[in-house]
Amino acid sequence: MATQQPKTRSRQAADAGGTSAAADSRAIISFHHVDLEYHDQKALADVTFSVANGEFVCLTGPSGAGKSSILRLVAMDAFPTKGQVIVRGMPATRMNRGRVPELRREIGFVFQDFRLLEDRSVEENVAFAQLVVGVPHQQILQNVMRVLTQVGLFDKRHRLPRQLSGGEQQRVAIARAMVNSPKILLADEPTGNLDPVTAQEIIDLLFRVNDGGTCVLFSTHDHEIVKTFGQRVLVVDGGRLLSDERRRVPVDRTASLVDHMYRAPAEATSPAPRPARREPAHA
Amino acid sequence: MLNRAQVNYLARESLAGFSRRKLTTGVTILIMASALMVLAVLTLVTLNLGTLLETARGGLDLRVYLRDDLPAAQLAELRPRLQALPGVQQVTWIDSEAALAEFRQQLGEDEPLLDLLDRNPLPSSYHLTFAPESRDPASVRAVRDEVVRWTEVSEILFNQEWVDALERWAFRFQMASLVAGLIVFLAAIFVISNTVKLTIASSARIIQIQKLVGATNAFIRTPFLCEGAVQGLLAGILAMSLLAIAGRILGDSLGGFVFFSPAQLFGFVLFCVTLGLAGSWAAMRKYLTLRSDI
Repeated sequence: MATQQPKTRSRQAADAGGTSAAADSRAIISFHHVDLEYHDQKALADVTFSVANGEFVCLTGPSGAGKSSILRLVAMDAFPTKGQVIVRGMPATRMNRGRVPELRREIGFVFQDFRLLEDRSVEENVAFAQLVVGVPHQQILQNVMRVLTQVGLFDKRHRLPRQLSGGEQQRVAIARAMVNSPKILLADEPTGNLDPVTAQEIIDLLFRVNDGGTCVLFSTHDHEIVKTFGQRVLVVDGGRLLSDERRRVPVDRTASLVDHMYRAPAEATSPAPRPARREPAHA
Repeated sequence: MLNRAQVNYLARESLAGFSRRKLTTGVTILIMASALMVLAVLTLVTLNLGTLLETARGGLDLRVYLRDDLPAAQLAELRPRLQALPGVQQVTWIDSEAALAEFRQQLGEDEPLLDLLDRNPLPSSYHLTFAPESRDPASVRAVRDEVVRWTEVSEILFNQEWVDALERWAFRFQMASLVAGLIVFLAAIFVISNTVKLTIASSARIIQIQKLVGATNAFIRTPFLCEGAVQGLLAGILAMSLLAIAGRILGDSLGGFVFFSPAQLFGFVLFCVTLGLAGSWAAMRKYLTLRSDI
C-alpha cells in the first residue's frame, strides 16, 4: 500500500502556491505576517504562506506547534491578532462575523476523534451537514448516497458509528465533510487514532478528494507520514513557520506508511513497484 | 427561509429536551407554574384593589353645611356658584327637615331619642357629587379648600380619610406586588435558564457540528429558544388552570372577586412564553458560544 502521489491538478496547483505576490492572486488561502495570541500567549508569530486552489498541503510539527491554530484561522474560528488571513477572497480582519457560516459552507472538517453524532446512523450523520444548510430533502438523499458510495460505506449507511471500525468512522467524517462539496478540506490529525494500514487508507481517500479539485490542508505530527508524503510540506514549531518544502520528487515515492513502520529499514527504502490505485468499493 | 426538512428538524430538536430529560423538565415546569401562580394571585389582588378603589372614588363627595341665618336669596345664589366649580357634576339641596328625616332613618330603633331635642339641630346643606374624571382626592380637596372660605358656609364634610387610607394601602400593596413580581420573574428566568443550560451541555457535539458545517447562529439557537418558550407556555397554562380550579372551589366565599378576562388570560400566557424565551436567551448568552472549538 503506497501513499497516493499527486495527480496533474495538484501539481499545477503546487506550482501556483507559495508566498510570492504572483501566487497570491490564485491562492485560496493566504496568511500575511500573521500573529495569533490566546490570553496573552503567543500561538503564532509572523506566519506567511499561501495555498493555491486544488493544492494538497501537509502541515506538520510537534504537538502545540501551532498547526491547529492555523486551521482555526482558516476556518475563521479565530482571528489574527496581527497580519491578515484571506480565505476564498474573504479577509478575516475586515469580515463581518455574520458571514462566517457562509464561508464554513465552503470548508470541510475532519478530526482525529471523528466527531460523529453517536445516536444517528451513518446516513443521518452525513445528511445532517446538508440539512442544517437548507438543502432540499430530495437533493440530500441523492448527495448522501453519492458521497457514501465514494467513501465505500454505502452498504453500512444504516449502522450507528459505534458499529463501525475507527477507519470507517473517519470515512464517515470525510463523507460528511465532502457532502457540501467544499472548496477546502481541513484535516486535523485525521490519522491520529488509526493504525498504519487504516491511516494509509484515509490518506489515500484524502488524495482522491484532492483529485476532485478540493484543496486539502492536512495536519499531522507523525514523522512517518511526513516522510512518505510527496507533496508540499509546511513545518511549524513554536508558532513559527520553519520551512515550506515542495517535494517535486518525493523523499520516498515508493514506500508507503506501512512500509516505513513495519518493514526493515533496508527493505523499506528499496524500490518497489507502486500498487495500482484502489477505487472505492461502490464508485 | 427554512425548508420543510429544516422545520421538521427544528421542531423535533425543540421537543427533544422534554423526552430526554423528563424529570428535569417536569420539575422545571412545576416550579415555574408555582412561581407564576404567585405572580397571578398578586396580579389578581392588585386588579381587584384597583376596582375597589374606583368604587371608593365613585363615592367621593362633599357635604356643604350652611349657616342657619342665611336669607333665601343668598341661598338661591349659592347653587349656581357651586355648580360652576371645577369637576362638580351635580348639586343637590338638602334642607334641615330632610336632613333630620334622613337621620331618623339612620338611627332606626333609637329614633325616639330625637324627640328629646327641643329644636332641629341639623343645618341645611348642599350635596356635591363629582364627574368621573374629577373623582380623585386632589380635585375634591381643591373644591373643598375653595368653598370653605365662603362666608355662607359653616362646615364641610369630606369622606377623604378612608379613601386616602385605601389609596395608601393599595399603593403599598402594589409596590410589594411589584417587588415580589420582580423576584418571581427573575426566579422563573433562572429556573428555565438552568434547564436550557442542561440541554445546551448535552447538545455540545451537535452544536459544534452545526457550526462547522455552516449553520447560522439563528438556526443553532432556535431549538433552545423554542424549548424555553414551550416550557413557559406549559407552565403558564398549568398555573392558570390551577388558579381557575382554586377559584371554582372557593366559589362564593370570594364574593365579588374578579378573575382574569379571556384577553388578560391570553396576555398572561403570552407573558409566560416571553419569560421562557428570556430564560433560554439568558442561558444561551452565557453558555452557547458560537465558536466551533476546532
